[in-house]
Amino acid sequence: MSALTAESAREVPSPSVHRSGFIRTYLWTYDHKMIGLQYLWTALAFLFIGGGLALIFRYQLAWPNTVVPVVGHFLPASAAVDGVIIPQGYNMMVTMHATVMVFFVVMPMLIGAFGNYLIPLQIGAGDMAFPLLNELSYWLYVLSGFVLIGAFFAPGGAPGTGWTAYAPLSSVAAYNGTRVGQSLWGIAIFINGLSSIAGATNYITTIVNMRAPGMKMFRLPLPVWSLFITAILLVLAVPVLSAAAAMLFSDLNFGTSFFRPAGGGQPLLWQHLFWFFGHPEVYIMILPGMGLASEIISVSSRKPIFGYAAMVWAMVAIAFLGFVVWGHHMFVSGMNLTLSAAFSVSTMFIAVPSAIKTFNWLGTVWRGSIHFTTAMCFALAFVSMFVIGGLSGIFMASTPIDLFVHHTYFIVAHIHYVLFGGSIFAIFGSLYFWFPKMFGRMLSEPLGKLHFLLTFVFFNLAFFPMHNLGLAGMMRRISDPTIYEHLRQLQPLNQLATIGAIGLGFTTFVFLYNVIRSLRHGAHAPANPWHSNTLEWTVPSPPGHGNFPVTPTVYHGPYEYSVPGMEKDFLPQNEPAPAEARLHSH
Amino acid sequence: MLPSGNGWFRRTVLLFVVVLCGTAGLYAEQRSGSIYWAPENATVTGHEVDRLLNFIFLLTVSVFVLTQAVYIFYLVKYRRRDGVKAHYFHGNTKLEIIWTAIPAAIFIGLVIYSNELWERIHRPPPPNALQVGISSYQFGWDFRYAGADGSLAMPDPEKISMENKFGLAEGDPAAADDFTSAELVIPVGRPVQILLNSRDVIHSFYVPEFRLYQDAVPGRTISWVWFETIRKGEFQLACSQLCGQGHYNMNARIRVVDEAEFEKWYREKSAKAQAAAAPPKIAENPTKTTL
Repeated sequence: MSALTAESAREVPSPSVHRSGFIRTYLWTYDHKMIGLQYLWTALAFLFIGGGLALIFRYQLAWPNTVVPVVGHFLPASAAVDGVIIPQGYNMMVTMHATVMVFFVVMPMLIGAFGNYLIPLQIGAGDMAFPLLNELSYWLYVLSGFVLIGAFFAPGGAPGTGWTAYAPLSSVAAYNGTRVGQSLWGIAIFINGLSSIAGATNYITTIVNMRAPGMKMFRLPLPVWSLFITAILLVLAVPVLSAAAAMLFSDLNFGTSFFRPAGGGQPLLWQHLFWFFGHPEVYIMILPGMGLASEIISVSSRKPIFGYAAMVWAMVAIAFLGFVVWGHHMFVSGMNLTLSAAFSVSTMFIAVPSAIKTFNWLGTVWRGSIHFTTAMCFALAFVSMFVIGGLSGIFMASTPIDLFVHHTYFIVAHIHYVLFGGSIFAIFGSLYFWFPKMFGRMLSEPLGKLHFLLTFVFFNLAFFPMHNLGLAGMMRRISDPTIYEHLRQLQPLNQLATIGAIGLGFTTFVFLYNVIRSLRHGAHAPANPWHSNTLEWTVPSPPGHGNFPVTPTVYHGPYEYSVPGMEKDFLPQNEPAPAEARLHSH
Repeated sequence: MLPSGNGWFRRTVLLFVVVLCGTAGLYAEQRSGSIYWAPENATVTGHEVDRLLNFIFLLTVSVFVLTQAVYIFYLVKYRRRDGVKAHYFHGNTKLEIIWTAIPAAIFIGLVIYSNELWERIHRPPPPNALQVGISSYQFGWDFRYAGADGSLAMPDPEKISMENKFGLAEGDPAAADDFTSAELVIPVGRPVQILLNSRDVIHSFYVPEFRLYQDAVPGRTISWVWFETIRKGEFQLACSQLCGQGHYNMNARIRVVDEAEFEKWYREKSAKAQAAAAPPKIAENPTKTTL
């Protein structure tokens, strides 16, 4: 490693060479790295908003109709009375929690932060293809966030129709009582969609056109592959949601009736449009996590990723099939029954590439030399949690079982195993992994381990009991399960889940403390602390403006670890293999 | 720079064991009734759904235990040790084919099993099925029975309004002696077909003990849901589709009773309805002529 740093140090300009003011550095910048960090900090702030909302309504579920401690009395009148959550307030918080987590935390974190930061660095480019569009897409994201949060202060309060906003509840003001809030939700989703489309266009262009010499498509690191495929999904799926949001806005405010049967509209049209976006969306949120976790697992196992090509083709298959499975959200919606059966078939098929990926991760750790860094722990847990989320999906893919568990807590458990156990675990792992590159400091490993351990335990405590709640018949989105005789006996499970959620919430502060402490006092990060092969580790931490002083040339794939015949156990992509190395190129 | 794996690893495993035992203890402490599994089934098709559920449960649990056992074994066995280098290989095509083909075969089998059952659950109801009209609204349920003549008037969703809750055609002879109820009462062992309507937004008919869920969509009548109960009891019908601020409390009582009790209840309701329907009919006529 020392040889490597010495070698690259020759031509690296000091990062301070390119100096500009506060605004041009932190607020309006064309540097993809800073834009990535803008996304990172903003999404982190939203994580606390979305998580806070979850804790408030989890409290209501565990101890219904009691004063919410600490925050109860600060809640607006539309959500709580005398510190006690009211039913409509509960609906609002559930709706806003999911909307914030999906559109303002997971997507911006994976795609905005890691996408922006890593794509140019890993393909050997100086920046994105369209830097202005890139910065614009960040500020559109911020704007949409303000519009969404603004809904809390609208007359009638925030929308309470669920993040899925099923029409005609969402599209007729008389039914939902929150015309302004619901309209703001529609606007926020629309603007957020513009941001996603702009970002995705940029990624596709950059990856197709700006790869360094020798960086063939099949030499791309898997995070880049996953983000490339995700960007294609975004460009194809998000416009459909934007159109649906515009129709919803028009129904609410201009008296049209796209979704209202009395005016000739079709309530199911909303569901078809929403899920045509919504299912690719699920993969939009998990594919980058898969890519990032694959990188961490390969590096920390000191082994080539098992089945690189299979990994890529599995993602391509997921992307294609992702567009023909939306109907599995609608088996019991009143859609044609034969259509349900057809969607059940396509859904079972999309499970195959996910299975392939899981087996390939197992193959990667097999006969490796596994370093249990915090990043690796999160990546390894990602695999296990994703397996649980994937397996519980099989229940719902089976049409008769869906008759039973549809819209129960079983699906809440499923989505959180995929989105939290999957995406958020991958995000945390990636933060530990790339933090040194981003900020030039190492995160504390002991604090990281503590963070991981608490997250893992509390996550399972919070979400595993939800499987049981669902099987026992507890519906989603009800503010007080104790009203129902058959649900009253389940309160211990609800309380267990809430205790887990509170623990999970507090654990995030361990992470925050680690970040703040390490930014000031963390050990200085070398260029390549994990002995990785990808190009971002060939430049200093953090990389200077323009990334690469000299455009790197790529000689082989990104996963040449422990190559026989070589002294060191890694071989950076820009280093030609020494004569004695017995390389199997892929 | 990389933390030494060994000591940390042992401590982690130990902590996990402690936490897992603690959680198990917590669980055991809470054991009461059917807190961990589905409530006792109450319908003929529900029994088959349960069989499929148990099958998928066994399948997924075995896959989970098997993959995780291998995974954890590898993680322990191949942890970093001084002087031991990782093996260098990029994959194995034969293995890739195997672990593509096996899941694919399992999923194909599962989809055939599932859809065959789906088909059977949704075959047309037998002719002796008791038809019940269900009209859902923000935030409650109305049930309508055929009355003395045994024929239920078919709802027309376009006619549904606050005054005409079931969307009945004017002067429909079948509607004349229909009666409504605030609870769903059904005879055990007789097939029941429901005609689902909604007056406003999407609601859903969900009874966990029946293993049954179906959305009620405004503007349409959904008539393919039917079931046959196998045990008496009281159940709660719950709306399981977020439908507004009163959604959490949108429920109704379902009573599954024996045939004799049902007949008695039916006759009483029917007679009461006919008695109540007679006088307004006279009062209704003049208003109609003025229109």
